[in-house]
Amino acid sequence: MQINEPLTQQIREHAHRLLDGGEVECVIGYEIGPRGRARPAFVYGPTEVDRLIWGADCVHNLTTYLHDKKKPRKRGEEPPRVAVVVKPCDSRTLNILLAERQIARERVVAIGVACEGVVGKDGQPAAKCSRCTDRTPVVYDVLVGEPPEIPPVEDDWSDLARIEEMSPAERLSFWLREFDRCIRCYACRQVCPGCYCTTCMFERDDGLWVDAAIDVPQKHVFHLGRALHLAGRCVECDECERVCPMDLPLSLLNRLLVREVEALYGHRAGREETLTPLVFELGPEGSPI
Amino acid sequence: MRFTTLDGLRRWLDKLAEEVDLVAPTDVDGHVLYRPVQSADAILFDYERPELSAKDFLFPATEVLLRIEQKGKDVAIEEVLPDRKQVLFGIRPCDAHGLAVIDALFLEQDPPDRYYRHHRERTVLVGMACLQMWEGCFCTSMGGGPMDTTHLDVLIRPSEGGYFLQPVTPKGVAILEGLPVEEPKGEPPSVKEYNEPVPVVPPEKWRPLFNDRIWMRHGERCLSCRICTYVCPTCRCFDVTDRVVDVQPGLTRIERIRVWDACTSPNYRRVAGGHNPRPTKPDRLRNRFYCKFCYYPEDFGPLGCVGCGRCIVACPVDVDITEVMQDVAKQT
Ligand code: SF4
Ligand code: SF4
Ligand code: SF4
Ligand code: SF4
Ligand code: SF4
Repeated sequence: MQINEPLTQQIREHAHRLLDGGEVECVIGYEIGPRGRARPAFVYGPTEVDRLIWGADCVHNLTTYLHDKKKPRKRGEEPPRVAVVVKPCDSRTLNILLAERQIARERVVAIGVACEGVVGKDGQPAAKCSRCTDRTPVVYDVLVGEPPEIPPVEDDWSDLARIEEMSPAERLSFWLREFDRCIRCYACRQVCPGCYCTTCMFERDDGLWVDAAIDVPQKHVFHLGRALHLAGRCVECDECERVCPMDLPLSLLNRLLVREVEALYGHRAGREETLTPLVFELGPEGSPI
Repeated sequence: MRFTTLDGLRRWLDKLAEEVDLVAPTDVDGHVLYRPVQSADAILFDYERPELSAKDFLFPATEVLLRIEQKGKDVAIEEVLPDRKQVLFGIRPCDAHGLAVIDALFLEQDPPDRYYRHHRERTVLVGMACLQMWEGCFCTSMGGGPMDTTHLDVLIRPSEGGYFLQPVTPKGVAILEGLPVEEPKGEPPSVKEYNEPVPVVPPEKWRPLFNDRIWMRHGERCLSCRICTYVCPTCRCFDVTDRVVDVQPGLTRIERIRVWDACTSPNYRRVAGGHNPRPTKPDRLRNRFYCKFCYYPEDFGPLGCVGCGRCIVACPVDVDITEVMQDVAKQT
C-alpha cells in the first residue's frame, strides 16, 4: 500500500502531543497489518504513535468506534476523551453524532485530513470520492495536509441511473436477487456509525416484523427498514457497502433516500449539526411524505 | 485411482443431478459459492476456495425442525427430515475437515444431534484438491492439507488432461460406479508451493493469557459482526426459535426453526434481565479464539480451526487469526 509520508508524520506529531500532554486517552487512526492491509488502530501512549499511518487505503470511517467510548471506564468517572482521524466524509458523521447527543464535542478531538481520495476494494478510486465536494472536513480541531485543488463536482446521481431505468417489477427482482446473496451477517449495520441502537429492531428475540431466519423475506425487511432508519442520517460514507462480504450495492438504497430527503427538505446529512428532518420536522400540512 | 476427462466428469455429474441433491461450487454474481445445481452446466471446475464453507448443507443457516399445526385443542407435530441422498461435489479438503470438527460435538456426544446426523448420513463428500494454497490458507498447520483425503469420501485431483479420482471410503467407491473411466494421461499433480506455517499453541497454554492485552489489541477494531463465524467451516453455534407462519380462524401453523448464531455478535451472550457477561468487542472476539484453541479441544477433542483462511480474507477490519496465533505463541 502507498503511504503518504508527510501526512503520516503530521498525524503522528498530533497524536504524540495529545497523548503526551494527557489531553486524550486514545487516538483512533490507521495502521498497517502484517498482510499489508490498512486497518483501524487504537493508540494509547506516546511511544506507540509510530504505528499510525496515512495513505489511500485508509478508507474506514473511524467515527463508528466513538460509540465504544461513550461509557466511562469506571462507574462515576467521566467518559474518556479521545482523538479520531477523520476524512471529510467521515467528519460529517461527527455532526450527526453531535446532533443526536451521542458524543459531547469537548470529549472528541478530530484530527481532520485534507483528503485526496481513497481507494475501494477493487483498488480503484472509491465511488464516494468521485462525487466528493468537500476535500476538507466539515468538523475538525486540527487539520493535516493541504486541501487539494480539484474542479468542483456536482452530484449527478448517475450511480442511481441503473436502478431508475428499471420498472418497479424489475427493481423488485433486482433487489430480491441481491438480498438472496446476503448472509445476514449484520456487518453493514455493525460498521455504520448511524446504527447504534442498543437492540436493533431487526434482531429482537421478540421481533414483530422479522424473525431470526436467514431467508429472503427477513433480509428484505432488514435492508429496507435499515435504509429508512438512516434516511436523512446516512452520510454516504459507503462503509456498509465496503464491509459487505457479498457485495450488496447498499449505497443504491441509501442514496435514493439521500436524494429524496434533499429534494423534500434541502437537507444533506452531516453538513451541519442538525437532526434528520424526516422524523423531527412537521410543516403546517404535516409531513411532506 | 480412476481417471476421467472433463467431459466424463460432466456426464457423471449430469446423471447424479437427476438422482440426488447435488451441491457444487458455482458463480453467484461473481462470488464463488456452493449451491444446489440441476446439471453440470452450473458447476465451476476451475475455482478458488469458495467464500463460504460447505457446512450450510449439513447444518443449514436456517432449518425447519418441526411443523406444528394447532386446530382448536388438537396439536399435530411433524418432524422435518429430508430423505434424498446428497452429494457435495468439489468441496475443499478443509471443508471436510471442518465437518469432522463439527462431528465431535454433533455426532460423537450422547445424544447426537438428530438433524445433523441425518444430513451427515445422507451425504457423500466429493472433494477437489487445491493445486495451490490460497490467500490466508494455513491448513497444513492444522493437520490438514490441500490434497488431504482424510475426511472425504472421494478426492479429485485436477491435472492437465483430466481428473484423477481417488475413492477413500466405501461410500466413495459406490458413488463412482457410474463414472466413465479412461486411460490416465500423465501423473497426478502435486502442490508446488506451501504457505508459511503458523504456530499452534496447546489449549492449556491459552488459559493464563485470558487477561492479556492481546485481546484488546486485536478486538478493539472488531465490528462484532458475524462474518467470520458464518464463513467458518467449524463454527456451529445456533439458536432455536418458533415462528407463526399462518393464522386462520381455528387454525395456527407454527414452525420451530434452528438458525446460525455467532459468539461475535453483541446479543449472543445476553441473558434475562439484559445483563451481558461479554459486554465489549474484545470480550467477544477473545471467546471466538478461546473456543477454537482452548474450550472446544478441551471439551470435545479437535481444535476448532482447520486453517481454511476464509475469516482472514473476509474480515473487513483485518482481524487475522494467524496474527493472533503468532501473538499467543510469543507470549508462551
Ligand atoms: S437498523 Fe434501525 S433499529 Fe437497527 S440499529 Fe440501525 S437504526 Fe437501529
Ligand atoms: S448507511 Fe452506510 S453509507 Fe450511510 S452512514 Fe451508515 S455505513 Fe455510512
Ligand atoms: S454486510 Fe452484506 S451480507 Fe452482511 S447483512 Fe449486510 S448486506 Fe447482508
Ligand atoms: S473479527 Fe472481523 S469478521 Fe469477525 S466479527 Fe470482528 S469484524 Fe466481523
Ligand atoms: S477460524 Fe477462520 S481459518 Fe479457522 S477454520 Fe474458521 S474460517 Fe477457517
